[in-house]
Amino acid sequence: MLKYIVKRLLLLIPILLAVSVVVFLILRLGEGDPAMSYLRLSNIPPTDEALAVARTALGLDQPLPVQYAAWLGKALTLDFGRSYVTGNPVLGEILYYLPNTLKLAGFSLLLTLAISLPLGIWSALYKDRLPDHVTRVLAFTGVSMPSFWLGFLLVWLFSIHLKWLPPMGMGTMSHMLMPAVTMSLMSLAINTRLIRGNMLDNMHARYVLYARARGLPERVVVGRHVLVNSLIPVITAVGMHVGELFGGAVVAESIFSWPGVGRYAVSAIYNRDFPVMQCFILIMTTIFVLMNLCVDILYAWLDPRIRLEGGTRQ
Amino acid sequence: MRTLFRLAFATLLACAMLLPVLSVQSAHAADKDTLTYSWASNVGPLNPHLYSPSQMFAQALVYEPLVRYGKDGTVQPWLAESWEISPDGKVYTFALRKNVTFSDGTPFDADAVKKNFDAVLRNAESHDWLEFIAQIDKTEVVDAHTFRLTLKNSYYPALQELCLIRPMRFLSPSAFPDDGDTGKSIKAPVGTGPWKLVEIRRGEHDIFEANENYWGEKPKFKRLVVKVIPDSDGRAVAFDTGVIDLIYGAGGHGAGQIGLDTFRRYAEMPGLKTDVSKPLATRNFALNSKRFPTDDLAVRTAILHGVNKAAIVKHIFLGVEPQADTLFSPNMPYCDLGLAPFTHDLEKAKAGLEAAGWKTVAGSEYRMKDGKELALDLCFVGNDSLQKTVAEAVQGDLKRLGMKVRLVGEEADSFYTRQRTGEFGMIFGDTWGAPYDPHSFCSGMRVPSHADYQAQLGLPMKEEIDRAIGEVLVSVDEDKRSELYRYIITTLHEQAVYLPLSYMTNIYVHRPDLTGVDFGPTKYEMPFDSIGRQ
Repeated sequence: MLKYIVKRLLLLIPILLAVSVVVFLILRLGEGDPAMSYLRLSNIPPTDEALAVARTALGLDQPLPVQYAAWLGKALTLDFGRSYVTGNPVLGEILYYLPNTLKLAGFSLLLTLAISLPLGIWSALYKDRLPDHVTRVLAFTGVSMPSFWLGFLLVWLFSIHLKWLPPMGMGTMSHMLMPAVTMSLMSLAINTRLIRGNMLDNMHARYVLYARARGLPERVVVGRHVLVNSLIPVITAVGMHVGELFGGAVVAESIFSWPGVGRYAVSAIYNRDFPVMQCFILIMTTIFVLMNLCVDILYAWLDPRIRLEGGTRQ
Repeated sequence: MRTLFRLAFATLLACAMLLPVLSVQSAHAADKDTLTYSWASNVGPLNPHLYSPSQMFAQALVYEPLVRYGKDGTVQPWLAESWEISPDGKVYTFALRKNVTFSDGTPFDADAVKKNFDAVLRNAESHDWLEFIAQIDKTEVVDAHTFRLTLKNSYYPALQELCLIRPMRFLSPSAFPDDGDTGKSIKAPVGTGPWKLVEIRRGEHDIFEANENYWGEKPKFKRLVVKVIPDSDGRAVAFDTGVIDLIYGAGGHGAGQIGLDTFRRYAEMPGLKTDVSKPLATRNFALNSKRFPTDDLAVRTAILHGVNKAAIVKHIFLGVEPQADTLFSPNMPYCDLGLAPFTHDLEKAKAGLEAAGWKTVAGSEYRMKDGKELALDLCFVGNDSLQKTVAEAVQGDLKRLGMKVRLVGEEADSFYTRQRTGEFGMIFGDTWGAPYDPHSFCSGMRVPSHADYQAQLGLPMKEEIDRAIGEVLVSVDEDKRSELYRYIITTLHEQAVYLPLSYMTNIYVHRPDLTGVDFGPTKYEMPFDSIGRQ
């Protein structure tokens, strides 16, 4: 198991290298010119002289391979350069905003699980009856509604009309509710249907029949056997939801002025702040890879039938 | 199992009922001592001698100029009480205001002024765009309250450019870095202005406090909170829910504070105070006189007569930006010239095209001349919804004349590259606004990397125009200067190189409890100090 984890972690290095090359090239081969963006932000007319000064200041006057080598050399020491816009070290800026996003994403994940689990079980137990219909409508709505639209609707209802929740910013628990719901509704809807489907499949499995034949009470049959077995595919889904949550954070943070890394990345994209975009994508890649690894480990731990490559279950 | 669910639902229900308890009353901005405003980003480190990421409006709150741009376009005394200009226009002697201190108590005197000028000159290449900096020859301390500036040539807009928010405002000598080079960083943002920056919370807000040592009239509010709200719809929600007190700045999506449609909605809502400022700059199209088919004066004139600006202003700018008929608004210095506007007149436009040989052809929607179709490229920023809508309206208007307009919507950087290289038929542009108009904008017309230069390149009198611009900037005779501006502006008007669309304005929206809200003389000078609460 340990060997497997180490191997997967080592695999991260070539992945990150490849990602960094691709991102570096894509950003620079595009039409955009960060020197021009810098001048625009500074309200300086982009004359050729001003552009040349800005290019030198931003290190854009070097050939691409030199720029990449310089960047990589520093990146190896965790120096991802300075933001073109703020002039601050990029990693410091991202790490400043990242905890806020993690807080929001963590809360959204909790919300997703806390609601989808009971709803999924409920609709499975009452298949084709009212609870099932209610959750079905909820799930379809959740999947079909774009998150930015949902965000605006929530603000309109809970902030403007009812005046219950603050429309933006960070601070109390109440600031977190609407962005978290906006981010989690789609994952929540998918999860609910997934759990329902798995539960129904498992309920007809033979081991359930045997369990019932052994005279186990229904509570134990459903709670210990059906539920646990239905959760395994959900873990894969949750692994993917984490990615979705970070993507969703970009939208939710912009709508709710949440000072997170998603909103920071959006402004970096607008301003062609290359060092920020590169560092952001690398950090997101690392999070994705690590999440997948966690899912694989959890899988093996939950289901003895699954053996991890190259070893036996520890 | 059933009990479990009952429990779960009871919890959910309880949470839902708790919502109102967590309610927003506390978020309400209506605090007696605090004015809450919002901006798209943090205000930045507020180095007075540098640019992005410091925000101009905030630099203007903390730092002050020697002279100030007045609402009537004249230059007024500020940190300098008076000044004398030598007859050759090269030596400026400023008598500094006495009893002025920086917000940290350091006295403001001629030494401080010289120190700041020298710091700016040390990094002159970053201020290349500003002719005034390039013209400075010498800075001298005459006595504690007299400062002398010598220019290389007489350069009349020196005073106008001293009014600018950056780079020529004053940092406390105590806040200079040890090596004196403000081009890298400063110790703290300390100025003489009415506000002090006291707190920065990245991505959340910046807080200013009134400067107790301020020499002029002190701000009525004790604190100014600037919330970070990047999105214009988010800003409207913040205003609706009382998170912010005031919306103030440019209108329109993107760089604006709120969309024009949102402003209209507020303007029609009873119980809110809204207003639109005087023209601050001009939104226009530059028509390329060097490129086919706009190299033909008849085509340019036809475009000016063909576009229905009244409709564009009414339906797209929703009346927030007034119709512009001249490149510079008549309220700008030297610009009240009584030029006759090109009225919307389809028949006149068609007749002009006919006379110039642009004939309608059977079976084609568009006119032809010498076998070539009357077609041009109109370039705009693709994701700028305002530009896109205007471009479509213009396309429709010109089609009625038999002119084909190809819309070229691209991302911002490509658009600006076209401005610089002249690869356009018609392209959006703005004048720089007060206090740059007309002198800096005209000065830029001589620079090849400007759309204006490119658009004018085909004019037979381009050299003469450039010479007149060069002359007007160094002229010391007021009458001669007026005459030269009259020549430049009238020629450009008659040659139909610009299609002025609308005058850009600032807008404000607030609830009636705020008093003293008024517009500043330029786009980024916001008179927060005069605002109070009843």
